[in-house]
Amino acid sequence: MKDGGVMKGLSVTDLRVEFYTDDGIVKAVDGVDFTVRPGVRTGFVGESGSGKTTTALALMGMIEPPGRVVSGQADLDGLDILSLTEEEFRQQRLATVSYIPQGAMNSLNPVARIETQILDGMADHGHHLRGSEAADRVAELLAQVDLPPNVGRMYPHELSGGMKQRACIAISIALGPRLLIADEPTSALDVITQRRVMETLGKVQETIGSSLILIGHDMGLMAQFVDEMMVMRDGKVVEHGDVADIFGSPEHAYTRQLIDAVPSLQRKPAAAPISSPRQDRPTDTPLLELDNVGKTYRKGRSRIEALKPLSFRLDGNKPRVIAVVGQSGSGKTTLGSLVLGFETVTQGTVRFDGENILRPGKDATSRFRREVQAIFQDPYASYNPFYKVDHVLSVPLRNFGVARGREEALGHMVEACHSVGLEPAQTIHRYAHQMSGGQRQRLMVGRAIMLKPRLLVADEPVSMVDASLRSIILGNLATMKAELGASVIYITHDLATAYEVADYVLVLHKGRVVEAGVPETVIGDPRHPYTKLLVDSIPWPDPNRHWGAGGTLDEEFAAVAQADLSEPTIIRDEVAGFQLGQGWTG
Amino acid sequence: MANADYQGAIEDWGTSARRWRTVSAYLKRNPSLVVGAILLLILAAVAIGGQAFIDYRDAAPLSNRPSRPPGADYPLGTDKFGRDLLAILVYGTFLTGKVGLVAGFLGVVIGAVLGFLAGFFRGITDTLISLFTDVLLTIPPLLVLVVIATNIPGKLDTDQMAIIISLLAWRQPTRQIRAQVLIMREAGYVKTAHLGGTSRLGIVFKELMPNLIPYLMASFVLAVATAMLASVGLEALGLGPQNEPTLGMTIYWVMLEGAFTTGLWWWWSTPLIALITLFVGLYLVSAGLDELANPRTRRRGA
Repeated sequence: MKDGGVMKGLSVTDLRVEFYTDDGIVKAVDGVDFTVRPGVRTGFVGESGSGKTTTALALMGMIEPPGRVVSGQADLDGLDILSLTEEEFRQQRLATVSYIPQGAMNSLNPVARIETQILDGMADHGHHLRGSEAADRVAELLAQVDLPPNVGRMYPHELSGGMKQRACIAISIALGPRLLIADEPTSALDVITQRRVMETLGKVQETIGSSLILIGHDMGLMAQFVDEMMVMRDGKVVEHGDVADIFGSPEHAYTRQLIDAVPSLQRKPAAAPISSPRQDRPTDTPLLELDNVGKTYRKGRSRIEALKPLSFRLDGNKPRVIAVVGQSGSGKTTLGSLVLGFETVTQGTVRFDGENILRPGKDATSRFRREVQAIFQDPYASYNPFYKVDHVLSVPLRNFGVARGREEALGHMVEACHSVGLEPAQTIHRYAHQMSGGQRQRLMVGRAIMLKPRLLVADEPVSMVDASLRSIILGNLATMKAELGASVIYITHDLATAYEVADYVLVLHKGRVVEAGVPETVIGDPRHPYTKLLVDSIPWPDPNRHWGAGGTLDEEFAAVAQADLSEPTIIRDEVAGFQLGQGWTG
Repeated sequence: MANADYQGAIEDWGTSARRWRTVSAYLKRNPSLVVGAILLLILAAVAIGGQAFIDYRDAAPLSNRPSRPPGADYPLGTDKFGRDLLAILVYGTFLTGKVGLVAGFLGVVIGAVLGFLAGFFRGITDTLISLFTDVLLTIPPLLVLVVIATNIPGKLDTDQMAIIISLLAWRQPTRQIRAQVLIMREAGYVKTAHLGGTSRLGIVFKELMPNLIPYLMASFVLAVATAMLASVGLEALGLGPQNEPTLGMTIYWVMLEGAFTTGLWWWWSTPLIALITLFVGLYLVSAGLDELANPRTRRRGA
């Protein structure tokens, strides 16, 4: 296999991949040339449809009909991998080139132990290990990805998302490949887990000395991780060079645009002036009031305290964007569900406009339903597959009596589409599965704007969309506050986006608020170890600002573990219109 | 172009012309539903329309000259007992269809109720219903039906036949509908509907039911096919209604009298063709409904 051991890296010339569809030929990759030097990390950046994943799949010999590699050479240490037959390619995969697909952690076999899956991958490529030899190799690989040896005996459902992703990395490096391709390896993970997985990936790549291609759309992650960067658009390379150079002086406008799409501390948009507060209701009643609200789940004997008693008050006359930040399991989604009335509190009271939402007065129910709207993380699940997408718009219009008659309803719907930049004619007669993820989420935002709520609960609305769309949707939220006077509870794991839109930030850890304040102080100068960990894990789009300025991940985890959970919330400062407190009764 | 059905004008949103165009465009994309429905409609036309021209008495023994080949007097010939096979085609298809429809309908109604109860209320209700269904699912149906049919005193008629078969026809629908309800009650669109001001009952009927209807229809078609198969099976064993000319009983007489060896090909080919058309039609409709039930599997393009 080692043909002289020449390490020249990968050099690709004139790669073209075409897809033959009903609508004609789509040139997914259109004449791409690049080299990846040995041991170098290269980032492929671009939005969905830019050809970055297709380029990687071509290098893995995984282009399926109707797609076809039309031309090109890919020379990896003297071997033209594009000229290989199907069987030859099968032998090279994992041994020479290894690919970690997007959402790899979900492709683990649910009924096989991790060690079996690692050994299966090796056996498939002719390395049959048995007994202690196999056990040693599994332990060694798991140690390389910072997993304890007992993970080998576990099944995928016993592991967290980050651990599963690291197990996938262990499988992909089992045969010491010379080129490792990772396709958005952290797209579904929160920032802290993302940092851990990326650190593991970087360490492993240095240990085995391979080249690495990281595919992604997150410029921040690129700045933190890769050495060189290749920006792609419409199947062509727009820009390729050293990361520091590209971030320092991007040559192409598109690169600039991608960099600007990342929320960053330096570029906080000027606070939009708040137009006149809504006058349609007496403003001395608080809009939303949580009075010692807690939620405990019981499963058999065990009790899980998802949200420890929390009180806050959001005034009715000053629209505010309140960010609730934390990792999965911090209780942030539980808080959102309690506010929406989807789950019942185990203690305390949630009041909207002065009325307990669980025991509302006569006409309060319909007012609550109409004035509190939500946007969820997964826009696809929010649409009923039986109906076309107009259903989510027309139903509330009818139920709330907003529109009388077909034409008036249509008018509102057209306006909703326009408000988020969708073309009504190409939207309302479609099914959800006929739209892209970004279009679906934009329409959900349009729906929220159309209903003019006074309170919007946005639960991770941008964690599943591209970077450029992310800033558009965050802009929509800001507009809702400024023009409609709506308050927003913005639930996220991403402090950077919270910084961009929020007036006030609550950092939630294990069901309790550990730190609260305006974003400039909480994110600019965090005090609580957990907030520090979150802030340190933000992948800043600046190659000179490194992850882990506050110490290694392990040191920071230790500091968080030491922090006293019974300590009161660190309240940094206050903002008019929002009070965090210890219960309001009496 | 691929996107023809939703591109272009939107002024006609919500009008009946728009709806009709959507339906016809859909049917063009789902040929198995159309072909299956046409086959079943032809059989229904023969079985129901034919009754206006053909006398029921022609399907009784000794009503005509026996063993006549197809010809001018008897288009499909007569059997050894003097039954007109055209009359058997008309009334036999009708009776077999009736047994299948009645048994399938009862099965799906019972199954839908049990499945909805189990899936919606969960807990102990679900445990009991699921346990009962699972145990019964392990028993071969024909065995049970033979035992029941042989123990019915007196002569069976087709209505009793349908009820006997429906005793076991609800098992698969119960499981299918329970599984669907369990999945759907957690769906994100239930939350969206809730936020849109739809009531609890509205969510059940306007959001969940429409998604369930294709499953109900598909499992109805499947239950009808299963019930017909069971009835034909019982009748071919001689356990059916002795005095009614169902397709299955005709097969029984064919086997009993050795129609294959005595050269009366028209005797066995008539019920056989009717049964094949029936089952192929049911299969195609069921495949077409499956496509309707899973929009994600729909092929793009017009």
